[in-house]
Amino acid sequence: MKDQHGMTLIVKTITRISVWLILLYGFYIIFHGHLTPGGGFAGGVIIALAFLNYMLAYGRGKTEKWININLLHDLESASAILFLIVGIIGIALSGTFLANWITSGKLFSLFSSGTIPILNIIIGIKVCAGLFFVVWTLSIFHIEEEAD
Amino acid sequence: MILYLLCFILLLIGLYGVITKRDLIKIILSLAIMEYAANLFLILFAYRKGGTYPILEEGKEIAMMVDPLPQALVLTSIVIELGITAMLVALAVRLYQKYNTFDITKIRRLAG
Repeated sequence: MKDQHGMTLIVKTITRISVWLILLYGFYIIFHGHLTPGGGFAGGVIIALAFLNYMLAYGRGKTEKWININLLHDLESASAILFLIVGIIGIALSGTFLANWITSGKLFSLFSSGTIPILNIIIGIKVCAGLFFVVWTLSIFHIEEEAD
Repeated sequence: MILYLLCFILLLIGLYGVITKRDLIKIILSLAIMEYAANLFLILFAYRKGGTYPILEEGKEIAMMVDPLPQALVLTSIVIELGITAMLVALAVRLYQKYNTFDITKIRRLAG
């Protein structure tokens, strides 16, 4: 066989299409977090599952080429700081932690409710990267075991 | 009431698996079933007949929503379960590297 990594051709072809749909759904859940059920955590989990779907179908080598692992690692660390920064700006401008310092906008419109969509996006990045790295690290164990 | 009983039975199924199974992966899955039973119990506690999700939408009555507080608690609980499961799987992988088996009766050498 040409390519021993990952699963069969059928799985790879389906994954190539479905990964983008899963990613789109995850972004939809994150961006509508203040309007519909869902939000940063649920959307982040869905995006992480899209990445894991790719990893299971294609193997670790191709995933490393597709996703910038170092960038994802930096994003995971930066998102906690970003959350803190948004909260501290709330202290500076309105007096309390995580206070809403952007105008609330119109009710039920997509760009509304102040800082909540921003925080949802930050939480989505954090959850996505965190959940992805949990399984990624577990698969490192697996490779070490095969090398012995 | 019957729903709470079914929920308790689900918890007992998980407990049965944790106690009697010998495979580490099956034990982890049984623990996950127990966690799901606890979550389901909290969610059922907050449910009211004919209630909808507790998010404000256009033309929606607040009176018909379920209680959102247990749902927020369960979301936290799910995150903790994720951490617990990841740690258990990591330990299981390490044990497999050392003993080449998931059978807990064969994992005996505590030293070394």
